[in-house]
Amino acid sequence: MSAAEDFERWGGAAAWSVGAELTSMQTLLWRAERHPVQSSTTTVVIDLDRAPDWKRFVAATEWGTGLVRRLRQRVVDPVVPTAPPTWADDPTFDLGYHLRRERVSSREEMLAQAAQVALRPFDRSRPLWEGVLYEGVPVEGGEGAAYVLKIHHALADPLGIVQLLSMLQSGRRAHTARKPLGDEVAAPVGVDGVELAVAGLRADVSTLPDLARTSVRTLGHAAVRPQAVVASALRYGASVRRLLTQTERPSPELSPRTGKKWTFLTFEAPLEPLRTVARQGGGTLDDAAVALVLGGLRRYHARRGSDVRELPVGVRVSLDRADDLGNRFAQALISGPLAIEDPVDRVAAVRGEVLSLHTERALEVLDAAAPVVNRMPAFVGASALRTAVPPDAFVLTLPGPPRKRFMAGAEVQGMYVLGPLPGAALTVCLVTVGDTACIGVNVDASAVADLRGLEECLAEGVEELVSAGR
Amino acid sequence: MSGLSAAAQEAIEAIEAGPQGPTVGAFFDLDGTLVAGYTAATFYGDRLKGRDVSPAEFLRTVVTAVDGELGGDPTRIAHVAFSAMRGESEEAFADLGERLFRSKIAGTIRRESRALVMAHQRAGHTVAVASAATRYQIAPVARDLGVEHLVCTQLVVEDGQFTGATDGPMLWGRHKASGVRAFAREHGVDLADSYAYGNGYEDVAFLSSVGHPTALNPHRDLRAAAARLGWPVLDLSDPVGGSLVAAGRTAAALAGMNTGVVAGLAYGLARRDAHEGRNLAVKLATSLPMALAGVEVEVQNRERLWTHRPAIFVANHQSALDIPVLGNLLERDFTIVAKKEARWDPRTFVGSLVIDPAWIDRSDSASARATLDGVVERIRGGTSLMIFPEGTRSATPVLGPFRKGAFHLAAQAGVPVVPIVLRNTGELMRRSSLVLNPGVVDVCVLEPETDWSVDDMSERIAALHAKFEETLARWPA
Repeated sequence: MSAAEDFERWGGAAAWSVGAELTSMQTLLWRAERHPVQSSTTTVVIDLDRAPDWKRFVAATEWGTGLVRRLRQRVVDPVVPTAPPTWADDPTFDLGYHLRRERVSSREEMLAQAAQVALRPFDRSRPLWEGVLYEGVPVEGGEGAAYVLKIHHALADPLGIVQLLSMLQSGRRAHTARKPLGDEVAAPVGVDGVELAVAGLRADVSTLPDLARTSVRTLGHAAVRPQAVVASALRYGASVRRLLTQTERPSPELSPRTGKKWTFLTFEAPLEPLRTVARQGGGTLDDAAVALVLGGLRRYHARRGSDVRELPVGVRVSLDRADDLGNRFAQALISGPLAIEDPVDRVAAVRGEVLSLHTERALEVLDAAAPVVNRMPAFVGASALRTAVPPDAFVLTLPGPPRKRFMAGAEVQGMYVLGPLPGAALTVCLVTVGDTACIGVNVDASAVADLRGLEECLAEGVEELVSAGR
Repeated sequence: MSGLSAAAQEAIEAIEAGPQGPTVGAFFDLDGTLVAGYTAATFYGDRLKGRDVSPAEFLRTVVTAVDGELGGDPTRIAHVAFSAMRGESEEAFADLGERLFRSKIAGTIRRESRALVMAHQRAGHTVAVASAATRYQIAPVARDLGVEHLVCTQLVVEDGQFTGATDGPMLWGRHKASGVRAFAREHGVDLADSYAYGNGYEDVAFLSSVGHPTALNPHRDLRAAAARLGWPVLDLSDPVGGSLVAAGRTAAALAGMNTGVVAGLAYGLARRDAHEGRNLAVKLATSLPMALAGVEVEVQNRERLWTHRPAIFVANHQSALDIPVLGNLLERDFTIVAKKEARWDPRTFVGSLVIDPAWIDRSDSASARATLDGVVERIRGGTSLMIFPEGTRSATPVLGPFRKGAFHLAAQAGVPVVPIVLRNTGELMRRSSLVLNPGVVDVCVLEPETDWSVDDMSERIAALHAKFEETLARWPA
């Protein structure tokens, strides 16, 4: 890994997420947030092989936040929802508020503290991130560290976070003296909520004639071909209904959920066997990740003597072509089979369920609805996010850095993403770091009677897939 | 019309170029894939006609069907139907399946789907029908296509009666996919090399379980998914239904036939030569109606129709169209064997005046033999004979077994047998249809076979049957 490559990647980070307004999906999550039950907080745990030099670490963070402007900006809300919220530089930005360090004596303690950090709501008037460096984590042959970074969904979704971190980390252990700096952008300063609302209203009024024209045209089309319009509307409605209702009820073994007690678990596995199992089942790594989680839950349900055969699992579906992890994807539910013993067969079953979602014309329903919902009071958005059957588990896969990376001289040994629990009992993220799969699991501890048992079962689920792929 | 579409041809060539042998599977959905339309609708239509359905059941069926369309559970409709069958006899239902196959469903099998199935069979693949339908709908179709394996929903039968329940889940959506995977494990089929064909949105999981999925005449939601998933889409032509224009042309053709007969016979009377009059009537009565209906005939080896006269011409039989086509081919100096019961049938009366068939009384074997003696005399006198050795029209293009009568006559009269293979007459005019559709009929005249004797007759008939099958499977270019 050459310094030139680092330089190029850091240049990319400077251009990362520069739009001023929140997208409608981000707006929906921002407005609908009810912490922690409908939290939009994602936490990343980064295992480091040694404690980095604190001064160098602070300097690097200082540099990073200068490079990526978003990390020094806050969200400004219009007083009435006529316009989307917007990003503005925070003139009071203070790195000391966002970054601190602490000491722990074990990795479990670090994970428990990370969960506590994640559960505390953000100060919504400041930049939406918080980092804690935990020193004293024992590693093989000495003392390691863990960097815990908590980021709001409005700032970045989990995919964006992993991308950003991959971009900011260094390819070398040594210090890089010359690093690119962010352009001094004349960012909007002193934006206030009233101005935003008025500007939004003005924009609405100016687009009214266009809107009217479009509506008349749509109505005209409908009047000429009423049958086609009705049929198409019915088909769309049918698809919405299937997407929202046609899955299994949540498992009683993973209830009742309060969303108020988070427990972080981490697992790691060699990536290659997982890819092999995925290939054998005709699927992707995403499908293998779902099969892995189902394998763990299958064991847990068997251990509890439960006869649940299928449970709802939230997965990500690309809205473009099936196999590229493009930028457009939707969250959707599948019924995850618990009864299939053979891991390869389970991957194939998951694959079939996920691909079946591509026949649903309403897959984009939440995306499509978000702009409308955003014009309404916040509680409407909050309940819109709750309409669907909550899954027992969300599972997603994220591509991390393909090679060894360093943070202020410490080697990154694992990167675990721990997502929020919007109604689910588990949120599982599999991040590929080099040739390792880092699996982060956030568990609603109030929903699980035997937390240790679940942890063991999930570990066995990981082991089962790995040995099937060897 | 005569050949396969370019897309179907391409798919078949890909199968031929791909891996061969029984470890490769080929899974065909039934409704909308092998056959056009829904076999369940045919069964339900029959129930409705038979007044087996109470108003309450009818209402429940309609409501469930509409709910399924509007995003409810689409398999509930089938369970409603299954529970309504409770207490019915399995045997009677299987018979109904056979009856509906002959009268309705056989005609809806897509010709090009059949060609795909045959291509997989030639490649030695393990071919199966995989469907949510019951075996009573599938079995006759599968048998007709020569498909041995069924992966389908099983109904529970106790003491020969349906209990109204299913054995295991209905093979729909994910369950069809797992049914196929289980079948593959059991039969040593490698799914990554295998093929699957389906048309509904529920078939995605089924299709994705093989390495070579094809969306065949897909519904719009599957079409959209196939585009996203990068799966090939194959649009095959449906069996031709009778259009109004075709019906009009058929009527014109019938009128033409009668005009031809009358004109020919009148000519014979005027010239006081009944023989020539009949020949002219045949010519007019067959070529006029075909021209009016827009049917063309494309013949390979036409010269063989003339090199060995008198002879016994044998042809495969699929359609009422076969007779005018053969009449048109043979042109003159031939007749047919017909059963005596048909003598006064008003539909064939005029035709029989022209062609003067050898009537045969099948109920009385002594008289039958006597008639046949007469026929042998007529053949020796120079009149060729036209016989369909299958005895009856086949419901589908599948060749039935050959009876021996024609070959005995050839042995007795000491004349050769000239085999004529007909393709797609059944497509242009379905077995039970009165409407003739325009198109091209393919005819291939095989090598005439001489020196028939009783000693090796069975083997020679079997060999000839095989030649017919081979010609139908691989039409000579």
